[in-house]
Amino acid sequence: MTITRLKLERFTAFESLEVEFSPRVNIFLGTNGTGKTHLMKVVYAACDVTKSDRGFVEKLVRVFLPAEGAPGRLVKRYGQSTRCTIEVSRDGRKLSASFSNHTRVPASATVTGMRGWKEERIEAVYIPVKEMLANAPGFRSLYAQREIHFEEIYADIVDRALLPVRRGPVDARRRRLLEILQGAIEGRVHQENEQFFLRNRQGNLEFTLLAEGLRKLGLLWLLIQNGTLLEGSVLFWDEPEANLNPSLFKTLIEILLELARGGVQIFVATHDYLILKEFDLQKHEKEVLFHALYRDEETGEVQCRSVFSYVEIDPNAIAQAFASAYDREVERSLKGIR
Amino acid sequence: MILRERNLELTLPPGVKAWKFDDDTHGLSHCMKAVDFIVELADRFLFIEIKDPEYSSATSRVQQKFIQDFQSGRLDEDLKYKYRDSFLYQWACGSLNDKPIYYFVVVVLSNLTEADLLARTEALRRQLPQQGPSSGVRRRRIVEDCAVFNLQTWNSKLPQYQIRRVRS
Repeated sequence: MTITRLKLERFTAFESLEVEFSPRVNIFLGTNGTGKTHLMKVVYAACDVTKSDRGFVEKLVRVFLPAEGAPGRLVKRYGQSTRCTIEVSRDGRKLSASFSNHTRVPASATVTGMRGWKEERIEAVYIPVKEMLANAPGFRSLYAQREIHFEEIYADIVDRALLPVRRGPVDARRRRLLEILQGAIEGRVHQENEQFFLRNRQGNLEFTLLAEGLRKLGLLWLLIQNGTLLEGSVLFWDEPEANLNPSLFKTLIEILLELARGGVQIFVATHDYLILKEFDLQKHEKEVLFHALYRDEETGEVQCRSVFSYVEIDPNAIAQAFASAYDREVERSLKGIR
Repeated sequence: MILRERNLELTLPPGVKAWKFDDDTHGLSHCMKAVDFIVELADRFLFIEIKDPEYSSATSRVQQKFIQDFQSGRLDEDLKYKYRDSFLYQWACGSLNDKPIYYFVVVVLSNLTEADLLARTEALRRQLPQQGPSSGVRRRRIVEDCAVFNLQTWNSKLPQYQIRRVRS
């Protein structure tokens, strides 16, 4: 069961937006401020409440962290009374929330569809831009006991990484992915008292001493190894390119596509040409849906255009930046030819 | 003036001196590579190499192999030797004077993006001795600059030297 659709009205940067999702891979691209991360956080919150006692709006507040925890601050700003609505759908079920810009606490928001929505749990993982495993020791208890200003995605990802290994045999697909990752990070990840290490022939290397990009691959290894990323789960990854050397992109995308083929629904937000290109080069037909977010020239509102074909992405902010650089490069090479 | 490579035609303005270099008259193809066309303008030479994996009888396998070679940089080696050998040949013929030489490669692949072309231009530049040795002994540049185009970007950047496909 996968997330099929998201509809937002007057929420954060969005006046009105409706996006249909691929059951496999969804990639958000667009210039800064077009709301890629916001879309992923909304869908993540909807997934995560299926297995916790938190309400949907409470979870939204915890992942967005508006000032004073007021949901109303997530409503698009108009300078007058406004009400936002959020609708997340998955095969035959819908979770909706609605609240005004005056709403101060999550309990005052209207939420419908929660009972049916929670009947089937969704295992969801959100990998934020900033790597967290190196800061894991003590973070969970600190987050649980004190009001620290961290979006809950950071606490959640540490929780997921610390989950013990699931019982039962590891299937061939998972084993293969683990081996590919072990090759990339040159070892396995080992955890002791909430502290993570890369373990190989040289011994245990603390995550704080490991390159941040490799820590992220290590996190992916853990999530596959402990059975978090299994069929039916949803993975959100904000800028997977951050801190990762491009030479590892091919491997990374190969793993993400394999996870998707194994039933993990994937959402990625990226600014990177090579990440897009690797998906384009490695995908099968209708497997990857590219969602281009852009501001409408007339209204200035954020819109989304979704296509399966890389060349049809329009507008493609990343390609436009390359085209501009290429134009200037050729001008330099031509040196005033007549 | 029109120069032809398979079923691609390069049209040049009147008065421009140009010739097809990589043809039967080359005579040293057993040991030296050659660019397709050489154009002499008032202020420079253009060495032009055309790679056309989209020619009418090319199989999809040939095209796929070409794309892999091109994107992986394997083709750069071939492009490097084409330039060097063409330079040496023309030097030996006494055709070169003090005009700078520009090396342009046109890859006829419609799905190449500007990002691909930018990356390949940089890679080709690294293969060529564009910069002289730090000792400063070099008296003239071996190659002035280079660029990689697809058909669309070539025709848009150099509209006076159009390349178009014609019926074979």
